[in-house]
Amino acid sequence: MVNVRSPYGARRLALGMFALLLAALLLFPGQSQGLLEYLDGPVGQVVRLPLEAVSSIDQGISAMWHHYVSLQQVADENRRLKQEMDWLRGENNQLREVAAATQRLTSLLQFKEQALPSMVAAQVIGRDSSNRYKSVILNKGEGDGIQKDMGVITPAGVVGRVVKTTGATAVVLLLTDPNNAIAGLIQRTRDEGIVEGIPQGRAKLKYIPLLSAVKEGDRVVTSGLVGGFPRGLAIGTITTIDREEGALFQTAELVLEVDVNRVEEVLVIQTVQGPPTEPAAKPEGGAKP
Amino acid sequence: MKKIAAYAGLVLLLVPVQTTLLPHLAIWDIKPDLGLVTAALIGVLAGELDGLLVGLAIAWILNLYSAGDLWLNLVTTGGAGLFAGLLARQVAEITPTIVSIGLLVLSLAGGLLAAFSMKHATITDTWWMVQFIVLPQACFDAAVGAVLFWFLEQRFAVPRFGMLDRYS
Repeated sequence: MVNVRSPYGARRLALGMFALLLAALLLFPGQSQGLLEYLDGPVGQVVRLPLEAVSSIDQGISAMWHHYVSLQQVADENRRLKQEMDWLRGENNQLREVAAATQRLTSLLQFKEQALPSMVAAQVIGRDSSNRYKSVILNKGEGDGIQKDMGVITPAGVVGRVVKTTGATAVVLLLTDPNNAIAGLIQRTRDEGIVEGIPQGRAKLKYIPLLSAVKEGDRVVTSGLVGGFPRGLAIGTITTIDREEGALFQTAELVLEVDVNRVEEVLVIQTVQGPPTEPAAKPEGGAKP
Repeated sequence: MKKIAAYAGLVLLLVPVQTTLLPHLAIWDIKPDLGLVTAALIGVLAGELDGLLVGLAIAWILNLYSAGDLWLNLVTTGGAGLFAGLLARQVAEITPTIVSIGLLVLSLAGGLLAAFSMKHATITDTWWMVQFIVLPQACFDAAVGAVLFWFLEQRFAVPRFGMLDRYS
């Protein structure tokens, strides 16, 4: 029903409230938003019910579509995957040899072994409610031990970082979002940089030293120095390198290891063991200060 | 009380629709902002105060499922409800075309505010966002709003604003 007989009082009240809200948000941004954020937990529990109901129906339909209807290219894919598996078997054997050698050397150098992080599995139940941010919603939240700034991965590589939690859900900012930044390391040259998203839905590695011999095809992994990721998780592969005249650093564009737009299940890293801090065996009779 | 329950139900329904179902209907990865459209339609149909309050509630709840800033959502969605209500009083007759033009303007204003308040964005990034996110989304919002208004008008026989009503 159209309310055309709204008295000026209601109009004044609405305008007054809006002005008050703007003033509160501008003058006391932390306090005014903090009050609403305090109520996020209980409200999140209520909203969780319809969200999970719709999400489970959506996943059911999606699973039915992918398992029974959309099977056109399965034979081709099967053949390609078998070839890839044979190739990977060969590579796996070589890597086993390398791993055994590394283990021997590690014990010789008395490096502290990097412990595996503890992780919790979660399902993606939705996407960001706005178009301006690239994020996904997980079906696990504070109640499951998930907290802000925890890293999120799949077995293939890095997905993003938790930026918001309620009791039952968590919002993960994807690697492709321009507001995300993760410390990266070029695997071959060992040069560090910062992986940032770009608005076009891709990512780039910034602040690569000018003298770095980085080239297209180099793989980028997490450096483990900052953020909720251990060292060595795959981020992506460098496709183009930008060396601007007079610039202090190089920048490279990446193809990400994980297609973050299609990810359905993820692992949230709860604890990260930092890079080895214990120094290697001290040389006998070292230099004195 | 009935009205509050209806609004609460609407807000709760919006969350799964916006976060789970709409991504499937996205065109070029752009989905309409149903929160803004709903707040604006409530502003038009029930008055600016209702539009503002429901807009604020929608912004708050939807913000739980977005990486965005709460203040920005409160200002854009709450503002859309308020200004839609105020603008609706200034026209002789409300038609789906008028609703779509109004929504285009409101969505564009909200989108531009968001694009220009984006942290770490260069001018190139901001311009890209305006061109490929803000503008298409405003068009999408306008179209969805017009269709919804037309549907409500047909289904519920919503009386239109008239010159006589305006001054009553």
